[in-house]
Amino acid sequence: MTASELQPVRTDDGLASQGARQTSRATLLAFVVPAVAIFVLFTLYPVLRTIWNSTQTLGPMGNGTFVGLQNFEEILFRDKTFWKAVSNTAIFTIVGTIADVAGGLLLALCLYAGAPMSRTLRVIWFTPVLMSYVVVGIIWTWLYDYDWGLINHILRWIGLGALEQSWLGDPNTALWAVLVTHLWKWLGFNMIICLAALSALPKEVLGAAELDACGWWAKLVYVITPMLWPTLLNLTVLSFIGKMMMFDLVWIMTGGGPLWATETVSTYVYKRAFNWNTFNLGYPSAIAVLWSGMIIAFVLLMMRLFRQRERLEF
Amino acid sequence: MAALAERHPGLAAWFGYIRRIPWLAFLLLYTIVTGGPFVWVALMSLRTTNEILDAPYALPSPAHWGKFAEAWTASKYGVYFWNSLIVVGCAVVLLTLIGAMAAHALARFQFRGRKALRLAILSGMMVPPQLLILSLFQILLQFGLYNTLAGLVLAYVATQLAMTIYILEGFFAQLPQDLFDAARMDGYSDFEIFWKITLPIGMPAIATTVVLNFIILWNEFLFAIVLLTDDDKRTLPLGIMHFMGAHQLDIGMIATGLMISIAPIIVLYACFSEIMIKGMTAGAVR
Repeated sequence: MTASELQPVRTDDGLASQGARQTSRATLLAFVVPAVAIFVLFTLYPVLRTIWNSTQTLGPMGNGTFVGLQNFEEILFRDKTFWKAVSNTAIFTIVGTIADVAGGLLLALCLYAGAPMSRTLRVIWFTPVLMSYVVVGIIWTWLYDYDWGLINHILRWIGLGALEQSWLGDPNTALWAVLVTHLWKWLGFNMIICLAALSALPKEVLGAAELDACGWWAKLVYVITPMLWPTLLNLTVLSFIGKMMMFDLVWIMTGGGPLWATETVSTYVYKRAFNWNTFNLGYPSAIAVLWSGMIIAFVLLMMRLFRQRERLEF
Repeated sequence: MAALAERHPGLAAWFGYIRRIPWLAFLLLYTIVTGGPFVWVALMSLRTTNEILDAPYALPSPAHWGKFAEAWTASKYGVYFWNSLIVVGCAVVLLTLIGAMAAHALARFQFRGRKALRLAILSGMMVPPQLLILSLFQILLQFGLYNTLAGLVLAYVATQLAMTIYILEGFFAQLPQDLFDAARMDGYSDFEIFWKITLPIGMPAIATTVVLNFIILWNEFLFAIVLLTDDDKRTLPLGIMHFMGAHQLDIGMIATGLMISIAPIIVLYACFSEIMIKGMTAGAVR
C-alpha cells in the first residue's frame, strides 16, 4: 500500500462535499436559534427552576424561603398519601405494562394469522389511540355507570346481576376499572407496532417452525417472541413511561378517588399544586423532582439490563 | 386429519372452519369493543337526554340534528372548537417550521458542538411533563402569558419540539448529500436549499410529524387545564370537562359535545388512515 492510495481518490469532490457541509456562522444560527431558544426558555429553564423550587417553601406571592431537603424528608417519611399514590402507580405500571405489551402482541398475531378484512379491522382497532382521554374517560364513565352503564346491563342480561358494581365508586374496583380503560385506549398502538415487526420477520423461519410441527404456543414462545424481543422491549419502556406519568384518565374518571383508591403520583402533584389553595409550589415540585428522577433512573436501568440480556442471547 | 381430507375434502374444510370459529368470534368481539363505543356516542349525540335515560341503547328516532346547532352556540362548543383549532394550528405550524430548520441544520451541517446540541435538544424527549408544568405556570405568569392562548401555544411547542426534531432529523439525514451539492453548484443559497429542496423532499416525514403533533395536541389536557382558566379560552377537552362538571346529568348534550370533538379526527382518519397510523407510531418504530 503506497502513500498515494491512502489519499482520497477524487480530492476535489471530497472538498466539494466538505464545503457543502460547512456554512457561515450567521446562517447556522438562523437555523438553530429558534429551536435552542424554545429549548432553553421553556424546557431547560423550567426544569432547573422546578428543581430549585423543590428546595423552597413558596408563599402565595411567589416569595420563597429556602428549606433545603426538608420537603423531601416530609414526602418520604411522613406523607402517607404520597405512598398510597406510589403504590397505586406501581400497580398500574407493572400490571398495565405487561398487559399492554402482551395484549398488543396477541392482537397483532390475531391479524397476522390471516384474519378476513385485516386492513379494516386494523383501522378500527386503532381508533381509540386517536381519541383524547377526555372522550375516552367520559365514554367509559358512562359504560361503568351503575344504573344504565353497559357493563352492568350485560351482567344483568346474562344473569350475573349479583356481580353488578358501581365500578368507579368502589375503592376495590376503581383502580382496575381505570386500568382497563387505559388498556383499551392503548392496545391498538402496541398492536400496530407488533404487526409491523411481525411483517418484517423472515417468512422462512415461521415456515420452518411449521415444518417442525410446532404448536402455536411453542411457536409463540420459542420463535416469535425471541425474534420480536427488541420491539417488545421498546414497547415496554414506552408503556412504562406513559403509565408512570398517568394523569389525564384518572383525573377525568375518578379524580383520584374514591378514598385515594386511584390517586396516582401525577394527580397528587396536581392536587397539591393547584387544588389545595396553599399556593405552595415547593412541595409538589419536590414530588415531581423525586418521581421524575425515579422514572429516568428506571428507564436507564431497564435499557441497560435489556441491552445486557440481548448481548447474552445473541 | 390428512386421511380425512383425502376421503371427504368438504368435511375437512368444514372442520377447519369450525376450528376457526372462536378466533373469528374474537375478531368480531374486539371490533365491537373498540368501535362500538364511538357508534354509541354518535347515536346519543342525536338524542335528547330524556330519550337516552329511557333507553340508553336505542337508535335516534327522530334524529335531533338541531342539538349540534344548540351545542355549538348555547353550550359554547363553537368557542371551544375555534380555540382548539387556533392553538393546535399555530403550534403545529411553529413546530414544523422550527423543527424542520433545526433538523436540517443538524442533518446537513458539520459544526463544532453539533453532537452536544443534538443531545441537549433530544433530551427534551425524556423530560416528564410534571417537571415542566409547575414552573412553566410560574414563568408564563411572569411573562403575562398565563391564561392566554399564546402561552399555551408556547408550552405545546416546547413539549413537542424534541420529538419533531428527532423524527425529521432521522429522515433528513438519509437524503443523499449529492442532491445538496448539486443545488449549491446551481447557486442556491442555504435558505433556498432548505425551502426548495429539504422541505419538499422531506414531505413524508413532515406529514408524519404534522399528524402526530395535531392528534396529540388536539387531545392535550394537562397543560391546558393548568395554563387556562377563562371560559372563553378553553380548548375542546377542557370545555367538555367543564360542561360535564356543570351539567353532570345532561348526557345528551355531553354526547353532542364529544361528537364535535371526535368528528374532525374521525373524518381525517377515514380519509388518511394509513398516514395517521404511521404518524402516531412514528416515534416508537425505528
